[in-house]
Amino acid sequence: MTDLERIEAMISRVALGDRAAFSDLYDATSAKLLGVCLRVLKDRSLAEDAMQDAYVKIWSHAGRYTSGVASPMTWLITIARNTAIDRARMRKPADNLADHDATLTATGPTPEQSTVAASLARRVTQCLAELQTDRAAAIRLAYLEGLSYADLAERFEVPLNTIRTWLRRGLMTLRACVER
Amino acid sequence: MSDPFTDIPDDGGSDVALAGELALGLLEGEALDEALELFNADPIFAALVAEWRLQLSVYDEEVVEARARPAVKAALEARLFGDERVPVWRRLWPWQLATGAAALAAVWFALAPVPPVTEPDAAAPVYVAELSAQDDSLRLVAAYDPAEDAIVIRRTEGQAQAGRALQLWGIAPDSLPVSIGVLPDDPDARFAVPADLADRVAGLTLAVSDEPPGGSPTGQPTGAVLAAAPLEGI
Repeated sequence: MTDLERIEAMISRVALGDRAAFSDLYDATSAKLLGVCLRVLKDRSLAEDAMQDAYVKIWSHAGRYTSGVASPMTWLITIARNTAIDRARMRKPADNLADHDATLTATGPTPEQSTVAASLARRVTQCLAELQTDRAAAIRLAYLEGLSYADLAERFEVPLNTIRTWLRRGLMTLRACVER
Repeated sequence: MSDPFTDIPDDGGSDVALAGELALGLLEGEALDEALELFNADPIFAALVAEWRLQLSVYDEEVVEARARPAVKAALEARLFGDERVPVWRRLWPWQLATGAAALAAVWFALAPVPPVTEPDAAAPVYVAELSAQDDSLRLVAAYDPAEDAIVIRRTEGQAQAGRALQLWGIAPDSLPVSIGVLPDDPDARFAVPADLADRVAGLTLAVSDEPPGGSPTGQPTGAVLAAAPLEGI
């Protein structure tokens, strides 16, 4: 069983309310999830709080994880990332958490074979390298550090409209390249 | 899936870009609400969001792992499962100090099937009792096994007199004793909780009496009560 399969198995046991599986899942994944939160929040104690919130959601939403729809790590990281970003922007949980959570059930590509996922990852990496430096950097910062458009505009010293145009064009170019 | 976006215009409000913005968490306010509405209504858009999430996950490799303080996990479990989730063995510890290793071994025997398959449910109440005769000629430990609704006994000292039997009774508050069973020669025994005592384990007092072989003929203790103690939650 690969690591990802083990994590997937843990998530399905967590969905049944298995506390021991939850403990195992935490042990196997919390270092990564804390890293994700830390990248966004920069502060260890805030990041730990956000990670804890993320695991509360993981516990209650594990039943909504659909095996094969996304990598289990991607699913977990998405929850951690959304939670950290909401905290960074000081959104009230009632505002958006539930809605963000809803997007976690999206069905998309099914990269259950690691070769498919790996070749997609290679392709995306290649395409990001082909992207204009600024646009790639903006996408990367938005993803990894959870920067908002206002943050990005400040970082790149360009007007808000401009940064949004950059980023959206960057995304569309990236998409066209990946599909090429 | 037909893709209306292969022919990329200058930014004409493409769903591809919008899905990417949603996946990145860049949308706020009205734009966010609209995107979420679209997400819920349009499976193709929802699939786009999922695809973005997957593609952007290439950055996840850059994330440096970090260990959380152990207190974080403890706080998380307390938050999710409540404070009652103290592992059985930690709850047994103070009790063991008061009663000794043999009693602990007996409770271990009671609660952990051999071979141990799973840890006893940490949230379930644990009831134990130590029964001893005044002169210590007879000692038993008892534990309630919630998984099997059974009372498990280990005799650690003494036995029935020749030609006599030891019988175990359960006495609920304000009730007559109910026979749980006659102790076998084997020091270890397991008895299903009698129907009359169902759901009355909390507050139950256990007692052992001296009886004729096969147990009391009357349904109530006929000989001396040698030892008694309440089952206590720990």
